[in-house]
Amino acid sequence: MTFKYLVKTVFLTEILKAMALTFKAFISKPVTRQYPEEPREAMPGFRGMHALVRDSSTGREKCIACGLCGAICPARCIHIYSDEDEDGRKFAKRYELDLLRCIYCSLCVEACPVGAIAMTEHYEYSDYSRDAFYMTKEKLLANWDKYMSGKKGQEYFKKFYHPLADDFAEYEGQALFRGKAAERTRDAA
Amino acid sequence: MEQVDKETSAREELTLSLGPQHPATHGVLKLVLELEGETVAKCTPHVGYLHRGVEKLGENRTYLSALPLTDRLDYVASMSYNVGYVVAVERLLGVEPPERAKFIRTMVSEMARISSHLLWLATHALDIGAMTVFLYAFREREWINDLFEMLCGARLTVSYPRIGGVRNDVSQEFLDSLWKFTEEFPGRLLEYETLIDQNRIWLKRTIGIGVVSAEDAANLGLTGPMIRGSGVPYDLRKFAPYDAYDQVEFDVPTGTNGDTYDRYRVRMEEFRQSNGIVRQCIEKLPPGPVMAPDAPKFTLPPKEKVMEDMEALIHHFVLVTKGPITAPEGETYSAIEAPKGELGFFFISDGSGTPYRMRIRTPSYVHALALPYLTEGSFVADVIAVIGTADLVLGEVDR
Repeated sequence: MTFKYLVKTVFLTEILKAMALTFKAFISKPVTRQYPEEPREAMPGFRGMHALVRDSSTGREKCIACGLCGAICPARCIHIYSDEDEDGRKFAKRYELDLLRCIYCSLCVEACPVGAIAMTEHYEYSDYSRDAFYMTKEKLLANWDKYMSGKKGQEYFKKFYHPLADDFAEYEGQALFRGKAAERTRDAA
Repeated sequence: MEQVDKETSAREELTLSLGPQHPATHGVLKLVLELEGETVAKCTPHVGYLHRGVEKLGENRTYLSALPLTDRLDYVASMSYNVGYVVAVERLLGVEPPERAKFIRTMVSEMARISSHLLWLATHALDIGAMTVFLYAFREREWINDLFEMLCGARLTVSYPRIGGVRNDVSQEFLDSLWKFTEEFPGRLLEYETLIDQNRIWLKRTIGIGVVSAEDAANLGLTGPMIRGSGVPYDLRKFAPYDAYDQVEFDVPTGTNGDTYDRYRVRMEEFRQSNGIVRQCIEKLPPGPVMAPDAPKFTLPPKEKVMEDMEALIHHFVLVTKGPITAPEGETYSAIEAPKGELGFFFISDGSGTPYRMRIRTPSYVHALALPYLTEGSFVADVIAVIGTADLVLGEVDR
């Protein structure tokens, strides 16, 4: 029972310290976001709702109905029914994706050899019926037009689905630690 | 009726069913407590409410597509579980990831450790009665989730590592903001400690609660902060280094008494060590590829090559549809240090693209089964403190 302990016990010093911190937080800027009023932009490359890539030259889907996305899908939520058109080109007659089964791992995007499926940054999709979450080919193509048209869609596969492996040649542009360099410039200035 | 009442009042015993929907059990854990007055005479954990059959599902998926299942084991530190899975598969297949991928994986698994410990601190303090810490800890956890989103597009179920490397390279923006996080995080830790470290209610609720001696901890199979709190410096990052842990410097904090407070101190110290490891990884991050260049039979080829190179196309189709069919036969057990303890993957391979058997040794399962030892003889209120200090995540208890 030292004097220090006695002071601490009687005057509630540790509680007052904590209350001071609470007060500091009370007058500082809040970190919470009023979500529905202030919508949050997803980061680039977010794994949201799917889209089928529309080929700008033909106006049709890029998909060649090889079925690799359905094969790698851990949730088994992609169903493809293929057909041949008059030129003998294989295409997906029906391309269906059950969003309620999907686990958003993006393995389908990696498996696709032609880059025909993408994941958009759209994440707000609540609805009243289950049918709204059963995506057909038309819905998925409309997603591409709506969320990924223009530059965003062109850069998508270059930026996020490029595992640097045996073709790795150029090092420039690769992210490296530059904290010390930044400190040096700050000191010089 | 009268007779029954007499009997129960004579024995003064009460069977209390805690859970499975009790918020303080962190998920769907059910504890059947036999009480004598307010003292717990017997505690029986009932697990299995969240069973999804991940091990069996893994036997029906290829090595590549079973990876997202491991996200769902411990959903608060899914990155560590992904890393544990790919390290085990790499050891089975004999794939060596490049240096840059090793450093990135070390970095992200330490971020997952910080994130997991933040959730532990928030909910543990909330259960005991300190609500303020919850709000502070979730502020930083949100930051880490944002960083994960920047890295791989998902906040919780990341699926970021891949067999032979990682999914994509880190961006400069990510590295810079992670560096900023590591600079600010020690200050935030001091804030948490201001709130509870010396708080008299916190001390009364944690000191001397759930005591486990070093010998008993080892006999019960406890790992991670649960055994380190008892003074055993058992850490797989030191004893069996994987990824880049042999190239970074860190200490293994230990406690002395093995009570709830010591385990709290161990985890608070681990925050600082993890923060240091993340900083070292950023500083030492070498340039180079992030996917093993010399394992075309186990890693997906670059997308540009698939439609140009015949061999790459064949590898791609076979890998996606059948998995790595040239996997060597045999069995392997590989363990990593997950935030909650030793996470082990045991594979039996029959040479096909899917594992013949995938067994997962999860730390929380062992810790849940140690609850009777930790709670019997203590008060009901202390059961909540012990569940909190064991850091149970029911997703990995039930698998």
